[in-house]
Amino acid sequence: MAMAALRKEGRRFAPLVSSPNPINAIRSTLAPTEEQVGLGVRSISTQVVRNRMKSVRNIQKITKAMKMVAASKLRAIQVRAENSRGLWQPFTALLGDTPSVNVKKNVIVTISSDKGLCGGINSTSVKISRALHKINSGPDTQCKYVVLGEKGKAQLIRDSKKDIELIMTELQKNFLNYTQVSVLADDILKNVEFDALRIVFNKFQSVVSFLPTTATVLSPEIVERESEAGGKIGDLDSYEIEGGETKSEVLQNLAEFQFSCVMFNAVLENACSEQGARMSAMDSSSRNAGDMLDRLTLTYNRTRQASITTELIEIISGASALEG
Amino acid sequence: MASTAAVPFWRSAGMTYITYSNICANLVRNCLKEPHKAEAINREKVHFSVSKWVDGKPQKPTIRSDTPEA
Repeated sequence: MAMAALRKEGRRFAPLVSSPNPINAIRSTLAPTEEQVGLGVRSISTQVVRNRMKSVRNIQKITKAMKMVAASKLRAIQVRAENSRGLWQPFTALLGDTPSVNVKKNVIVTISSDKGLCGGINSTSVKISRALHKINSGPDTQCKYVVLGEKGKAQLIRDSKKDIELIMTELQKNFLNYTQVSVLADDILKNVEFDALRIVFNKFQSVVSFLPTTATVLSPEIVERESEAGGKIGDLDSYEIEGGETKSEVLQNLAEFQFSCVMFNAVLENACSEQGARMSAMDSSSRNAGDMLDRLTLTYNRTRQASITTELIEIISGASALEG
Repeated sequence: MASTAAVPFWRSAGMTYITYSNICANLVRNCLKEPHKAEAINREKVHFSVSKWVDGKPQKPTIRSDTPEA
């Protein structure tokens, strides 16, 4: 029974091979309708299981190697991400980070990875971007997307095609550096009109936990408006500013630089999260492959022993038929 | 409020503050001495591909890169 099932289906071995004891095997080999009677059957079915075991073992090796690679990349980039946090913290202390600001033109910058096999981080980023889009699109407000990374592009193309403004990919060909991110930020500034930019990325808390976060950067006009209204940004007047003549010019420089710094940090943190998520995804995948290999080994041994027992029984019954 | 005061030269030339600070940083990097200079130039490489979308249709992507396409 089991052998016939293995030969025919060749698919899922574990649930089918519940009890391939010899009695069932004999019943199948003696049944006249089965055309797989014959010695060739048993070796073929163990062959199938053996091939499957070989491929699962290869996959396990590959995923283990990917995990090591991701771990080493993570170590390299984690230090830089944590150091880059110091770039935008003074900006937040000065200008505040106000996600609840009410503006007409919102642009959502979604940061995702180019490569896959990294767990669910890209889906969470896209989910948050869509939620932000829904919150922020009203009768007189407008909301657009700028997407960084192939995976985010693939997901957002499906239903938000008309809202996409810019797409940037192939970011990680060289080592991530500030110059590249600032050129990106510059492109976004030049090509997209915005009142508020909301950057969605995965913040790296630890190797196993990544928090999807939003950072809000306002355009200089809105910062001025908010500073007139008072509050945290209104304290700007109490600072003595060197360099620009007018407050609006200083604010413009600051806002652009803030955008660039926040983008830099966001891109680095997302890259860290990507490597960490890939590490844990590959780790669970190798563990699953190991489990599958154990189950397949049990199946293989049972099949092999069943076939040997069948042969023995046939020989013995043939011999006893001759005698008696 | 429109700034009638003289904007700095780079702003009137169409550059943003980001471009301005990148050019300044490039100048500083070129002032370094040899072993550090090569590392610093390495930190400046840019490569990505941008495609603008109009009305739900992607335009041809342009690749902005310091390294020539091999």
